[in-house]
Amino acid sequence: MSHRVAITGIGQTRHSGRRPYHNDGEMIHEAVSLALADADISIKDIDTVIIGNMDLFEGHYLNDAMLADYSGSIGKSGFKMNTGGTVGTMEVITAWYNIASGQSDTVLVIGWEKHDEGPVTSAITTIYEPAYTRWFSVGALSGLALLSDDYLRRANCPMEIGGIVRSYMSENASRNPNAHLREKYTVQDVMNARMVLYPLTLLMICPTSLGACAMVLAKESKAKKMTKKPVWIKDHVTVHAEEGGGLFDALSGGPRRTTETEAGKTILKRNHITKPLEEIQLFEMYDPCPFFHPFFLEDFQLCPEGEAWKLIEKGLTSREGSFPISPSGGVMCTNAIGDSGTLRVAEAALQLREDAGEHQVTRKVTQALASGFGGSNWTDLFLLTNSLD
Amino acid sequence: MKAKPQLELIYLDMTLKMPFKWNTGEPLGEFFRELKANEKIYANQCPTCGRNYCPPANICTRDHSRCNEKDKWVAVGPKGTLLTFFICEQSFLIPTTGEMLEVPFSVGLVMLDGAPVVLQHCLQETDVEKIKPGMRVEAVFKPKEERKGNIFDIIHFKTIKE
Repeated sequence: MSHRVAITGIGQTRHSGRRPYHNDGEMIHEAVSLALADADISIKDIDTVIIGNMDLFEGHYLNDAMLADYSGSIGKSGFKMNTGGTVGTMEVITAWYNIASGQSDTVLVIGWEKHDEGPVTSAITTIYEPAYTRWFSVGALSGLALLSDDYLRRANCPMEIGGIVRSYMSENASRNPNAHLREKYTVQDVMNARMVLYPLTLLMICPTSLGACAMVLAKESKAKKMTKKPVWIKDHVTVHAEEGGGLFDALSGGPRRTTETEAGKTILKRNHITKPLEEIQLFEMYDPCPFFHPFFLEDFQLCPEGEAWKLIEKGLTSREGSFPISPSGGVMCTNAIGDSGTLRVAEAALQLREDAGEHQVTRKVTQALASGFGGSNWTDLFLLTNSLD
Repeated sequence: MKAKPQLELIYLDMTLKMPFKWNTGEPLGEFFRELKANEKIYANQCPTCGRNYCPPANICTRDHSRCNEKDKWVAVGPKGTLLTFFICEQSFLIPTTGEMLEVPFSVGLVMLDGAPVVLQHCLQETDVEKIKPGMRVEAVFKPKEERKGNIFDIIHFKTIKE
């Protein structure tokens, strides 16, 4: 029987596009201090430190050792993680394994990125296999464009949905003091922005942000001493595929079987959830561009194929809706990649604690989803709750 | 009130420039040899589940069966049908060459004739009004003496009328 695992402390820096007077470590230390303070413990109470960013973005590769002073990992167990878009969520999953197995009682996870230090799109381009796909890819953007174009066509979804989703996100981010892009945009602003990569305009593309998010996780007995409002990791799943696999299969007439469909099926089945849009009340989604809201709602098995954009159009996913997506403003407004996944779990937990401040959703939340996105080749999905009873 | 004096900003410049030689492995090497020598695009099929691969796979990703028997490879293309595409309007640094991307840069996913396989490659057409999924395209090869045994032995896919 494994130990139950709770999130007991959350800390994040403000996110922005440039911060030239601070280095990586100074930025990370801010988030670490906030998370420890939130859990009301000191670094001495932490057994294990997991730290992660994405290799090549800052041009160095040993952030667990290089930043040990700032992260507080000296003499402790733990390691660095560099799994791409899923860094942040994999860190939380790794912390879960550490605690659930009994190896550690308390784990500190730190997701971070400082995108003002390197060429982000060029660095991401190196994730693709080098023989053919890499030559026909433009960082993360080309994959986002292909998946968006594919969704628009097969769901018969109007382009304006991109504007609607982005305007919801701008409204949410304007209420979140830690978000990077906080300006409010109308549907027309989004649609009329310069085309960067068809079908995505400049305002549909996630920014390159910098920031860090840290969390303290603990086993049940410790968690209950640390906080009155623990948020429990009820379930989580990780699914892999080969590059482009699921998309290519479905496009060439095969079954729709992506890392998202498999992750969604597993989480819903294991937790006996039959009406996901009622039994779950919120989704902090790793949403790099607007068309991923309807596309992921369907692939994660939360609503029937071809229906999600219609529900979004009616307001289902806005902050006041019955199933808000990314009330923080999501990845579309804040994207420091190594911290984006950690931040999804952290923001969902803040909502469950009712500690999200001005961007707290208007309805009661008892169960929430949070996801990590590894270019659709790798998906992490969490089910979080504020009550295990 | 006096403005706070701005500190001189100190930062360190760094450029990484590192050569790599990447080993293709068996089926991908053979795929490129055929592209170079015979202008042939090959695909293969998993003997267990029937899933198709282009370039040919060594191991099926679905059921882990070995599927690299060359006598069972089938030539696909050079014609095919465009499924989806993107057009990049903004230039970025290409990390594998150190050069800037020439834009507009349009890329399509093409289902090649002969097997249900999808190949990702450049499109000759870069005008969004003239690119329609469902349209027919054909691979344009470099002349034999210029082919090197890599994916750019195919220059791009051009639009064709049938």
